[in-house]
Amino acid sequence: MNKNKEKLLNSRYRAEKRFQFYGKSAIFLALLFLTIFIFKIFSTGYTAFQKTWLIVPVTFDAETMYLDENPSKEDLEDADYFDLALQTMFNLDKSASEKQQNDLKRMVSYFFEREIKRELLNDPSLIGKTKDVYLTASDDLDQVFKGNYPRDLPEDQRRVTDYQLKIFDQLVEQGRIESKFNLSFFTYPDSREAELAGIASSFMGSIFSILVCLVIAFPVAVLAAIYLEEFAPKNRFTDFIEVNINNLAAVPSIVFGLLGLGILLAVFQLPRSTPLVGGITLSLMTLPTIIIACRASLKAVPPSIREAALAMGASKMQTTMHHTVPLSMPGTLSGTIIGLAQALGETAPLILIGMVAFVNTIPGSPLDPAASLPVQIYIWAESAERGFVEKVSACIMVLLGFLIIMNLFAQIIRHKFEKKWS
Amino acid sequence: MKKNGVKMIKINSKNVDVFYGKKQALFNINLDIEENQVTALIGPSGCGKSTFLRCLNRMNDVIDICRVKGQIIINDFDINDKSCDVVRLREKIGMVFQKPNPFPKTIYENISYGPTIHGMAQSKNEMDEIVENSLKKAALWEEVKDRLHEPGTGLSGGQQQRLCIARAISVKPEVILMDEPCSALDPIATAQIEELIDELKKDHTIIIVTHSMAQAARVSQNTGFFHLGELIEHGSTDKIFKNPENKRTQDYITGRFG
Amino acid sequence: MVEAPHTVKSYEEELKNLNSNIIKMGGFCEESLGKAIQAITTRNSDNAEAVIKDDEKIDKFETLIEQQVVNLIALRQPMAIDLRETVTALKISSDLERIGDLAKNISKRTLLLNENLPKNLTEALVRVSSNVQKQLKSILDAYLDRSSAMAINVWEGDEQIDDLTNLCMQEVIKYLKENEKNLDDGTHLLFVTKNIERIGDHTTNVAEQVYYLVTGEYLEGDRPKGTEPIVTGEK
Repeated sequence: MNKNKEKLLNSRYRAEKRFQFYGKSAIFLALLFLTIFIFKIFSTGYTAFQKTWLIVPVTFDAETMYLDENPSKEDLEDADYFDLALQTMFNLDKSASEKQQNDLKRMVSYFFEREIKRELLNDPSLIGKTKDVYLTASDDLDQVFKGNYPRDLPEDQRRVTDYQLKIFDQLVEQGRIESKFNLSFFTYPDSREAELAGIASSFMGSIFSILVCLVIAFPVAVLAAIYLEEFAPKNRFTDFIEVNINNLAAVPSIVFGLLGLGILLAVFQLPRSTPLVGGITLSLMTLPTIIIACRASLKAVPPSIREAALAMGASKMQTTMHHTVPLSMPGTLSGTIIGLAQALGETAPLILIGMVAFVNTIPGSPLDPAASLPVQIYIWAESAERGFVEKVSACIMVLLGFLIIMNLFAQIIRHKFEKKWS
Repeated sequence: MKKNGVKMIKINSKNVDVFYGKKQALFNINLDIEENQVTALIGPSGCGKSTFLRCLNRMNDVIDICRVKGQIIINDFDINDKSCDVVRLREKIGMVFQKPNPFPKTIYENISYGPTIHGMAQSKNEMDEIVENSLKKAALWEEVKDRLHEPGTGLSGGQQQRLCIARAISVKPEVILMDEPCSALDPIATAQIEELIDELKKDHTIIIVTHSMAQAARVSQNTGFFHLGELIEHGSTDKIFKNPENKRTQDYITGRFG
Repeated sequence: MVEAPHTVKSYEEELKNLNSNIIKMGGFCEESLGKAIQAITTRNSDNAEAVIKDDEKIDKFETLIEQQVVNLIALRQPMAIDLRETVTALKISSDLERIGDLAKNISKRTLLLNENLPKNLTEALVRVSSNVQKQLKSILDAYLDRSSAMAINVWEGDEQIDDLTNLCMQEVIKYLKENEKNLDDGTHLLFVTKNIERIGDHTTNVAEQVYYLVTGEYLEGDRPKGTEPIVTGEK
């Protein structure tokens, strides 16, 4: 009898240990995958925050720019810098053939002309003088410098010619290649050229979308939740609504995209590809999430508080607005933020309503065409250029950072404003 | 209180029936509550004593399926009448609950809430006065006067309950209903509340539901015994506890319930 | 009235125990009184000594019952019928203890008495004492049966005892007047008679307690004189 008990006891302890082991391994596995994922993203992405510059001496020769003596500000603005820019690049190898000159030109971004112009506009006294100017390296050379480009491939299989490499190596030796923080990644809109592509347009697009989404979804959802939870009679009809709200939360996001396409664009003729339409579509998606969060936190307000207020002679409305709703706000807000974070990461509905279009301007309002961060990731991931690979990871990092900050904010709200009741 | 030897009746309930859906919870309750006295309602769990209490300030309205029949007359006015305004009624009839339930706000705000929504104070000074008087009457002033703007939920259980009582009396109700106000408190806090009840009965009519027969015996002048939704016996407390008329009352208070 | 048992069994046990202690104590008192009366009427000094010895037992019962009552009040907080039972037990036990003391006193005096007493006197003594004995017996039965009617009977019977005591007193005074030598015995006999009357009074006290125990009300008014009972509203 006693022996049996002992055995049973031991086996119970063993069962518990086994269970704990399974649990720990599950957590370990999850952490492992997460670590690998993050490591992968970071290791490919971090280089995107650096940008390679060619430091090229530019001789601001007034003649090459077809400028008169003592040019005015307007003259400088209107001057043609293209020949000067070309000449600057050709100067790197004066004995270059025509084909090699073409190669030289393609060592920098097509933006180089403007970079030179900006330099001069900043300091018009440079005319006739020579100055080292930073020019954005082409995406391929950028990758070469970052060590991401396989040099050992045969020449016909890579986009960088042997000649470019030769010149590039010379420049490296002369210390004329420099890597600096890539500010333009954050300030430039999308571009076909990887070295000039930035997330400004999609970042702003995302922010506008989220704002539109918040402005529409939050009040509607909170009002709906308060009415359902506090005022609506409990009957079959409200049960039916409740079930359907829960169902709505489970509807695939692409369906909302179709809704946006079919109704917002086709019927209401709202401007395509804009954060306004994106935000409305996302708000449809976020609505049930916020309603559910808000109802849950309203439910969590102890009935004793309502009773206390009612017994003091507060009306139903006063009870709700003075006590129940303020107490439910932390939960509602953090639910809202999590809903918005979900919306932020949403791609499919935005693609359907056209926010996938190539946008190379930074939107100034929700009515301007824009992309959004996840769509930007999708666009770049589709591009063939090597330069976009790191951009994809970098953009994922920005998106993740955005999400983490939002979730952190949700946590802070929950902790800071959650009041302990009785 | 006796006036010219006649007991003044504050609340007069006539043939009160309460239904929860199809289930009847109270059967034909006829109970008179004397003015400025403490009336205790005792009885086993589920006997309907709390239900009756909540009829008196119509807190049962909150429950969708609850229906109340019969008359409850306070100040010559039937509170179940359609013309009765619940908000006004609850201003006149305060309530203290089983679990201390201060609002998760400051002590000051807890007290000032009622006077604010009923527009009882014209100025900040008046409000300060109401808060101070209420807290003094609830014997809590000395303990909290230096921290009126700290959260009410930070007080101890007994203090919270006294805060709830102060909140209830802030609107100067005529009747105070107490639903097992001490069931979550320790004996010292309980004694403080009981002393307070004794004080409050000078200005208010008090009805207290309690599970503790000893407490009913200590604080009340009249006692009503409920069993299975019926009012079995109602009379002076010493009569009920020394020599009840009904066998079921006796069985209950002597602990012979099978 | 037959009560349902308490939910708490040990409480029930304690109350039953208290009750049976009262009955036991009453039994001893009854026995002592009987022996004391026998001793005085039959001049039996053995009985008298036994009564003196038994008083200690009765005193112990009183202490025991007092402790039980205090415990019950402190630990069980009895209410209604239980409260009345507890409180009356305390009072009845003290009356019974007095009865025991008085019986003892009678016995002590018996031992000092002369052998020969006039027949008239003995007969008067027997009449009053047997009446008291009967009263004590029926009040103990009333207690056992929780009978208010019997209690009233006993209460009303006190008048007769008073009458018989007076008759007995007259006999003793006559005896005292007969001879100066009778002074010692006569004085003792006066006290014995008075003691028997006191026992009757205590029995009446117990009757009042039993009535209160059963009905929860007090027997009000003066003790009855004559045949008409004053008490109304009997339950």
